[in-house]
Amino acid sequence: MAEGEKKRPINRLKTMYPLRALVDGMYERAVEAGQEGKPVAWCMVNWWGGDAILRAMEVAAVYPEDYGAVCAAFGAAPAYLAQADSDGFPSHMCGYARNCLGYAARMKELGAIPPEAPMGGMPKPTLLLSSGYFCDTRYKWFQALGRYLDAPVWVLEMPHPGVKESRLEGVREHNIKFLVAELREFIAFLEWLLDRKMDWDKLAEIIDDTIEMNRVWYEVNELRKARPCPMHSRDFWSSMPASLYMAADPKVTTGLYRQMYEEVKSMVANHRGAIGEEKYRLAFAELPPWHSLKFFDQLAERGWNFVIESWAYHPPKPIDLSQVSDPLERVANLTYQYFSGYFEDAYNTGDWWGYFAHPYLELVQEYQCDGIVLHPLLTCRTATNHLMVVQDQLMSKLKVPSLVIEGDIVDLNLFDPAEALRKAETFEETMSHYRQVRKEAGMAW
Amino acid sequence: MAYFMGIDIGSGTSKGVVTRDGEVLAYHLLPSGANYRAAAEKLRAELLAKAKLSSQDIAYTVATGQGSASVPYSDGQVTDIRCCARGISKIFPSARTVIDVQAQSSQVIRLGERGQVVNFVVSEKCAAGSGRFLEVIANVLQVELEDIGPLSLKSKRPVAFTTGCAVFGESEAISRVAEGNAKEDILAGVHQALADKISTLVERVGLEKDCTISGGGALDIGLVRSIEEKLSLKLLVPPQPQLVTALGAAIMAEEMAA
Repeated sequence: MAEGEKKRPINRLKTMYPLRALVDGMYERAVEAGQEGKPVAWCMVNWWGGDAILRAMEVAAVYPEDYGAVCAAFGAAPAYLAQADSDGFPSHMCGYARNCLGYAARMKELGAIPPEAPMGGMPKPTLLLSSGYFCDTRYKWFQALGRYLDAPVWVLEMPHPGVKESRLEGVREHNIKFLVAELREFIAFLEWLLDRKMDWDKLAEIIDDTIEMNRVWYEVNELRKARPCPMHSRDFWSSMPASLYMAADPKVTTGLYRQMYEEVKSMVANHRGAIGEEKYRLAFAELPPWHSLKFFDQLAERGWNFVIESWAYHPPKPIDLSQVSDPLERVANLTYQYFSGYFEDAYNTGDWWGYFAHPYLELVQEYQCDGIVLHPLLTCRTATNHLMVVQDQLMSKLKVPSLVIEGDIVDLNLFDPAEALRKAETFEETMSHYRQVRKEAGMAW
Repeated sequence: MAYFMGIDIGSGTSKGVVTRDGEVLAYHLLPSGANYRAAAEKLRAELLAKAKLSSQDIAYTVATGQGSASVPYSDGQVTDIRCCARGISKIFPSARTVIDVQAQSSQVIRLGERGQVVNFVVSEKCAAGSGRFLEVIANVLQVELEDIGPLSLKSKRPVAFTTGCAVFGESEAISRVAEGNAKEDILAGVHQALADKISTLVERVGLEKDCTISGGGALDIGLVRSIEEKLSLKLLVPPQPQLVTALGAAIMAEEMAA
């Protein structure tokens, strides 16, 4: 470290930077494709099936959900939110959607990428790939977007397996068939729209690489159970988009995750943590306030190490798909595993009280957290409505306390960092108290 | 002989306490105004004068409250939630729940046996359930703040408020006045709306007896009664509820100096 240079409170992983750069490259490639008249898709997170197909068909993809986080982090979101407000979208609607619709409205007004758009912006799409999973906004958002951008919208449907009926005989097989059929239909649509044929060998290779990418990424996160934890949530959030959004060739991404695995493994071996002194191990529930990530530096200075985050942004638990011959069936299984794999424990224990909430019990226990920060997103019901159940269950079953800090992923006006810090300082006393309670109860941490 | 100082710079009122051996030697309150630093300086001068001490006599000062960063002479800052917990525990060692009704927000704190914070919940950015709501309504009705409580107790038919929101509450209060409702009935309705909001916080944090109330809101007997009715219990009210957090800050000062 150079003389006079202030030490950063969080030791960022070196191998995180090239993974984060893949996302920059994703936007650059899409802009270039747009300029060259090549097809571009705006996609929702679709858990790899749609991504793999687009990549095999050589369609450059960008992700408005990720772009919402980018705009928030670069300070560009307020102008797009204001644009959406003036177009009549209610301010309690999803921050990602409002940011995107505001961006699209501005793009339509200018007839080009807005000059102030961060990361070079998202070019005009050839198609919009939507998904019905997770929330109603995701349906209506792209429907509205199609009108602004004059682009066709394709909805990739997915089953919702987080109910006990999904354990009935034959349901899994039925759902996989449904997913495969959806993917086949999407391929047929793309072949018609782009007037070109699918390269099935190429698709199979991309799918296999995607499965491996997720497996390695999963193994990286397993290493974070170590004390002290070598990888902070900020590194997770910086590295996550590369795979969640399939920002690059999955073979390249896998290579970078392998490098990250080696770096983290070496830190574990040398007992090096992500922060100076790990006084408290924390979990973070739901997406962070992208506009205020410096807040985590302040907490790191107090000894807070965020060691695990919402399962919903993590890769699926690995499964053996070597016996599944059809590539579409393989990727459908991967997608289905993402939805159902984290619920296995809930299924097995008969805890049906909330399939979204239950995985937190497992994570908090495995990563030995002293507390969890719950970040109810004031513009997202889906990401919020299970958090109070998480709070209650963690306390009653594990004696782990929760700190609720309200905010939003995009809208800075809904987050109060001073108030959040005030509560965090108080919460340290609460965490210390329950550490003693767990000790007296003979619990492992 | 060691003396300790606790300074609580709230959005409405600044409070200070000087202690010796854990006992209050002097206290003072003044309006915070728009300059927290000036309020903090004036508060110290008044406290030292009352205690007949000089600034060198104070071994350690803890600042708390919204303006805690504006106390230039503090040795440390502690959150108002922790200070409130320590303060109430000193006054009522049996207390396990505190309802703290401040000017801008309300908070409910669960305490451990040693006055430590076991759980807490804050009313977030919304002013519903805070003293500010009462101030807004008092202004509409042109009633002095200290008269709100006694006047509301005369109510025979409390008006039902549909909101606990300080912003919408103002326009709703104006509508109730226009309908010809008596001031005491409107005030009793406001207290019920506040008690409803506060009880949801209590439920969130988990009620454990003894339950106490602190902050400026505890000076309003009408509000205290409404909360008691809503929770079906008797609240312990300290003699000077506004000073609880400053007292806790002084106790923390003693702990931190040790």
